[in-house]
This record gives sequence, C-alpha cells and structure tokens, in this order.
Amino acid sequence: MATGGSDLIMQMATGDRQAFALFYDRHAPVVFPLILRIVRERADASEVLQEVFWEAWRDAGRYDSARGSPEAWMVTRARTRAIDRVRATRRRGENRGTIPGALDRLPESQREVIELAYYVGFTQTEIADRLKQPLGTVKTRMRLGLERLRDVVTTHS
Amino acid sequence: MSHESFDTLAATYALGALDGDERAEFERHLAGGCAVCEATLRGAAEALAALARSGPPMLPPPEVKDELSRRIAATTPGRRAEARPRPLVWAVGTLAAMIAGAAFTGAFVAARYEGRLGQMAREAASLRTRVERDAAALREQIAVYRNAVDLLRDPETQIVALHGLGPNPAATGRVIWHPVNGGHAFVANLPAAPPGKAYELWTIGEAAPQPAGVFQVDGSGRGTHRIPAVEGGKPVKVFAVTLEPEAGVPVPTGPMVLASK
Repeated sequence: MATGGSDLIMQMATGDRQAFALFYDRHAPVVFPLILRIVRERADASEVLQEVFWEAWRDAGRYDSARGSPEAWMVTRARTRAIDRVRATRRRGENRGTIPGALDRLPESQREVIELAYYVGFTQTEIADRLKQPLGTVKTRMRLGLERLRDVVTTHS
Repeated sequence: MSHESFDTLAATYALGALDGDERAEFERHLAGGCAVCEATLRGAAEALAALARSGPPMLPPPEVKDELSRRIAATTPGRRAEARPRPLVWAVGTLAAMIAGAAFTGAFVAARYEGRLGQMAREAASLRTRVERDAAALREQIAVYRNAVDLLRDPETQIVALHGLGPNPAATGRVIWHPVNGGHAFVANLPAAPPGKAYELWTIGEAAPQPAGVFQVDGSGRGTHRIPAVEGGKPVKVFAVTLEPEAGVPVPTGPMVLASK
C-alpha cells in the first residue's frame, strides 16, 4: 500500500497544524469524490468533508495503526458521515451513474449489491426487497463481491 | 453458528448493511473479541479504501481547507497567533485601552488554557484507548486459552508440531487441532513481520492450501492464532505458515516460515 502517513496523524495528535495541512492534501482528493458520490450535492459534500477532517483532527490521538491504514480510517469515516447526511435529509434512493473504478471488474450482481449498500446506504433487508432476492443471496453476493474487490485491488495496486 | 456465517455477516457489516437481530448478534460477537472477524473487517476497510483510490481523484473547493484552518487556529494555541497588533487599542483613550487590554489578556489566557485543556483531553483519550485496547486483548487471550483447554479435553484433538524453515530454523510451533471444531496455533521464535506484512496460516488437505487467517507475533517472537474449522470437516494433512501482505491473501505468495511434517 502506497499510503503510509500514520506519522502525520501522530503529529496531528500533538497539535501540529502543518501535519494536518499535509494530511488534508493527501486524503481530501480521495475522500471528496466518495462523499460527493453519496450525497450528490457539491455544497453538502463540502460540508461533510469539512466535518470528516475536523473529526480526524480532533480524534487523531485515538488513531491506532494496528487497526488499519490512515486512508482506511478516513474512507470509513467519510462513508459513514456521508450516509448519515443522506439519511438525515431523506434524499437517499435514486442511484446515479457509476464512476470508473475497481468495481467495474466485479460481476454485475455483486457490483449492484455493493453499490446499493455502500453508496446508497440501503440495508441488507432493503436490498433484498428491492431486488426481490432472498436475504441469504444478497449477503452472499456482498461477501463474494468484497472478496473479489480485495483480489482486484491487491493485484492492481 | 459456524464461523462461515460470521464471515458473511462481517462482509455485510463492513458495507454498513447489516440490520436487525443479526447486527446486534454480530456486534456481541465482535465485542467478545474475535480475531478472525476483526481481520476480515480490517481487510474489507482496506479494500474499500483502495476502491475509493481507484477512481479519478477530485480536488475539493479550496474554502473547505481555509475554513478548517480557521477552526483549528481558533481552538489551538498558536505560537504567534495572539501577537497580532490591535490598532484600536492605540486609537482610543486610556480607560478604553485598559479595558481592551484586560479583555485581550483574558482572551489570551482563555486561549492558552483551552489549548492546555485540549492537550490534556487528547492525552486522557489516548490513555483510555490504550486501557480499552489492553482489556480487549486480555479478553481475547482468555477466550483463546479457555478454548484451547476445552479442545485438549477432547480425545479427538491432535497436537501437531510446526518446524521452522528457511531463514528461521529456530522458529517452532504447535497446533492443537480438532477435526470438527478447528484449533489454535501457538508459535515461538518468529521475527516480527516487516511493516505491511503478517503471518498467514494455511491448512492443506487433498486440494490447494486453504487460508486460515493472519496473525502477528509479539516482541518476544510469540504468537497465538485461532484456526477456523475446515469446511465440511475435511482432513488436514499439513499446517503451514507463510509471510504475506497484512490483510492476508487467498493463495500463498510469500516464503514459508513454518510447516508441519
């Protein structure tokens, strides 16, 4: 993984603003498109982005590199906050076109459940209802899709 | 519930889609300290991070960074942030200047103490995280030992020796293995895995090696690892450990460091 950067978080934990600026420059261009894809409005996405980085600054002392890379830490936060935002504004539901990325290399049935869960914020039950598939099938597709995604990103990075 | 179903729950949980009783059940399972599920969740989070990175990057509006800098400067004691000249102080009369001066001093002191308090809160938070982590690690260890003792009582349980290979001939290990319940590996004298790497255990039967989870060793070269049962209870002929990327891989790619005969 070409991320590293846990040293920046440690510096942030001691109140180092310069480290925060570098951390922002490194991660914002990755998490901003993710947030935008979920919340869809640029103004909302900017607000969520600000909240996510503000929390990262505040919680830097609690980051534990054994639990994941800084990038995974930020991406997980960004996704959670973005979904919170669409749930709060009840603007969830319509799925727009996809953006190019590693999901393209998944079978359609797996890509579909991952998109509905991860980008739209539907739960397994909602996805099963929507696709008229048994719950077990939906969950299995998610597991296989994530496994496949892991293979795709490890072979291509 | 078999661990196979926990794998599926973990994937659904990682995508934020687990709901209802299953979510509560899985969170209880996680709180009990399950190294396998934790590794699965970590792997999923890294894959989703790589997914975010796989698309075209996009620069956010510059106001976001400006606003963040402003917020941070307002709450942390800057080295020179308070030293800005205040022309107003010079322009008004003596009394006003004194009031302004007092207010300025007050703000300065407040800012300093807020900064100090913020720092203390950070330290307290990091201490609390460490204690929570230690407690979780201890709980996990107890669960491992309890399970190992239970397995040892079972007449079907076997104990298999692992031998060091390649650069680590001094490395040793034991696997306590039950054909239905899975088992535990205990290893010693292995060097710490390099950054970004972990040891991965494999069960080898008739077919290709099956991944059985990743683990790390502590500063003294020791490690323990829970081995999930093999699907369908198929017999395991050989246990092996290789050095792999820390998220684990589906087929072995790195050097073998330990194996049973």
